[in-house]
Amino acid sequence: MENNKGMTISIKGLTKAFAGVKALDNVNLDIVAGKVHGLIGANGAGKSTLIKILAGVYQPDYGEILIDGNPVQILNPGVADSLGLSFIHQELNMVPDFNVIENIMLGLKKERKFGLLDWKATANKIIPVLVQVGFNKSPFTPIKEVSVAEQWLVAIAKALYKDVKLIAMDEPTAALSESEVERLFSIIQDLSRRGIGVIYVSHRLDEVIKICDEITVFKDGLLTLHEKTANLTKVEIITAIAGRKVEEFEHINFNYEKGEVLLDVKNLYDENKIKGVSFSLKKGEVLGLAGLVGSGRTELIMTLFGARKRKAGTIIFDGKEFTPNHPKDAVIRGIALVPENRREEGLITNKTLNFNINLPALSVLRNIKSLPFISMKKSSSITTKAIDKFMIKTNGVNSPILNLSGGNQQKVVIGKWLECNPKLIIMDEPTQGVDVGARAEIYKLIRSMSKEGISFLIVSSDVEELPILCDRVIVMANGQFTGELQSCAISKEEILHLSYAEPVQQYIYEQGRQ
Amino acid sequence: MNKSISKNESRRRFFRFIGKFGTIVFLLIMITFFSIMKPRAFATVRNLLNVLNQSSLLIIIACGLTAVVIIGDFDMSVAITASFSGVLVTGLMVKQNLPIWFAIICTIAICALCGMINGLIVTKLRVSSVIATIGTGGIIFGLNYAYTSGSPIVTGIPKGFLNMTLIRLFGKIPINIIYMAVIVFILWIILNRTELGQRIQAVGGNSVATKLSGINVDSIKITSYIFSSVCGGITGILLSSVIGSGNSTAADSYLMNSFAAIFLGSATLKDGEFHILGTLIGVIIINIGFNGLAIFGMSNYVQYIFQGAILVCAVALSSISRIYANK
Repeated sequence: MENNKGMTISIKGLTKAFAGVKALDNVNLDIVAGKVHGLIGANGAGKSTLIKILAGVYQPDYGEILIDGNPVQILNPGVADSLGLSFIHQELNMVPDFNVIENIMLGLKKERKFGLLDWKATANKIIPVLVQVGFNKSPFTPIKEVSVAEQWLVAIAKALYKDVKLIAMDEPTAALSESEVERLFSIIQDLSRRGIGVIYVSHRLDEVIKICDEITVFKDGLLTLHEKTANLTKVEIITAIAGRKVEEFEHINFNYEKGEVLLDVKNLYDENKIKGVSFSLKKGEVLGLAGLVGSGRTELIMTLFGARKRKAGTIIFDGKEFTPNHPKDAVIRGIALVPENRREEGLITNKTLNFNINLPALSVLRNIKSLPFISMKKSSSITTKAIDKFMIKTNGVNSPILNLSGGNQQKVVIGKWLECNPKLIIMDEPTQGVDVGARAEIYKLIRSMSKEGISFLIVSSDVEELPILCDRVIVMANGQFTGELQSCAISKEEILHLSYAEPVQQYIYEQGRQ
Repeated sequence: MNKSISKNESRRRFFRFIGKFGTIVFLLIMITFFSIMKPRAFATVRNLLNVLNQSSLLIIIACGLTAVVIIGDFDMSVAITASFSGVLVTGLMVKQNLPIWFAIICTIAICALCGMINGLIVTKLRVSSVIATIGTGGIIFGLNYAYTSGSPIVTGIPKGFLNMTLIRLFGKIPINIIYMAVIVFILWIILNRTELGQRIQAVGGNSVATKLSGINVDSIKITSYIFSSVCGGITGILLSSVIGSGNSTAADSYLMNSFAAIFLGSATLKDGEFHILGTLIGVIIINIGFNGLAIFGMSNYVQYIFQGAILVCAVALSSISRIYANK
């Protein structure tokens, strides 16, 4: 690992089409070891296709891959592995009940003694690698007791153990908090210093600019930009991703202060994660909920939505007491949820766009009001309406939901609530894994709906997003509120500052009521 | 370059076709083969009606079971419920002297109760569906023996009950086919054109997302189990009328056949999704095969080998095609 035998991967004329649509079109690219190579582009732009071809999951239709000048054929993931290419996907695919060592050794040759596995000798070989990546828990900890950030360290340690030459990381910071991101970055820099190539795939531009030496942008299967980061500006990159200039959002201060209160939460507790939370939300207000991962944000909104058990506290919604015991109680009262993981929690992935849009409000589809039969005609016309309103890009109402890009899938998760006439829309990380163009459109939608009087409660880890989107931001730490920021005072620095602060929840509540 | 793309594309299209229509192509090949080889015995209206008639009861029970399989669960008690239902309906008429219609209604109600209990155990007690229904299946089997002490109910069954399955419409079409068609139609409408059906399909696709869309997943699951048990019950009633007795193990063999048909059906027309029409075609494939092999004079065991092989091959072909269609 100490020598600088940098490997170069050259990609020449790579082309790959799916159902006639070119996912990659004549791509030429050199990836040099010892550099951090940022790969960005909208969803469906071709970056994951490229990664999957390198990983041996897909075969290219045309073109070739050269390693140090020698053509290679990566026929299956095993070949990629033996070439020293390693891939860490967003979902880390670890066995929760196995410990760190067992997860690292999964599929690898282990030390043996008298024909039996010798975990102690195996551990002795792995521990130095774990130390290198800065993993300082016991290597015998079950992986389910290890934070997501530390799981990333384990995944990187596994790659290092295999003496890897190139690591591709897909959205490594999606589930990490700000401080964990810093830690990961220092490890990535360490890797590149040691001559290991890193491909860094992410939607988070600021991070890519910060960590990457070179940036490559894909747009509709074409490589549109390949340049040293130092020579680029953020605007140039965004333009390359979107293919057009994306309008920058400026914060507009609403007169929400005059509106009536829609939601009033007093001293809410759950079993363990929420420890006395009080706040109120006015009609048409966009309220941000910031804080580190694990601070109780997701638990708070899930409790409000009836998907988690309450222990104490009162909720007044729309003038009446609200005791949600099941999400359906929330939906009946006019609360909608856009959950964090759209594939696991937001979409019926084996169904069509039409099916998903109409699921929450099936009774609207009745032909005869008193009979529960649904009209297919009505369902397609509602879907068409949603496609128009949300500018969903699709081949038609009946196209499978997985054929849509991430941004458009997210619009479906929002759009499916339209017929329920929600008064409050709760969103958890609404732009996670969404490309720049669709992100701007989602911001616009939130704005226009809030003007119609719909309130929003938005959980976000994206500290760039909160200031431009929210009228007010509440910051959480350890299950309690640590502070509240009003429109103009919302800034990245203040949010981060409060994220690490001690709770002062009673004070904030009183202030919020004035 | 264009040539290589179009070659890939046509390969993908081929596998997409095989994935969806492979089983139907196989059914057509089988029918053509038997028709050419045994035109007089196989390719007659009479034989065709015969196959459909034989398939009817299996189709009813399998379509009900499909509702449970769609939500991602298994109902291992459905065939035992069907056997129990046959014993119960004849017993209620013979031992308790209930009128035919009332015995049938009572039997179906008890079957619905069995389904509800299955659903409650799975949703509220959080027992995995296979374990829960093997358990309730055992209980139902025991109750069945307790009711009859194991001896079949043969004598004293009213003529009207036996005639229920003997009628032929227009002097030709066995009435069981009509019963089957009506039940399949009702189930198809429920699953595809009602709110309940959409919710059942949603639970099967992603139960977490369904719950977070404000739908009571538990009650949807319980309803699916009731569909399964009620259809099992109807099959049991019709079967006891056909064989003229209430036998405590009469319908037990329907379990494996139903699952075979359902999984064959999932490889038909849709990409690995369970659906009523697929199950219907699945049963027909199995029974056309049985029928043709019987006409060729093959013994019973060949038919079972055929059933096992066709099931594994069809599902394997469909999943492999799906991989190649996207590669």
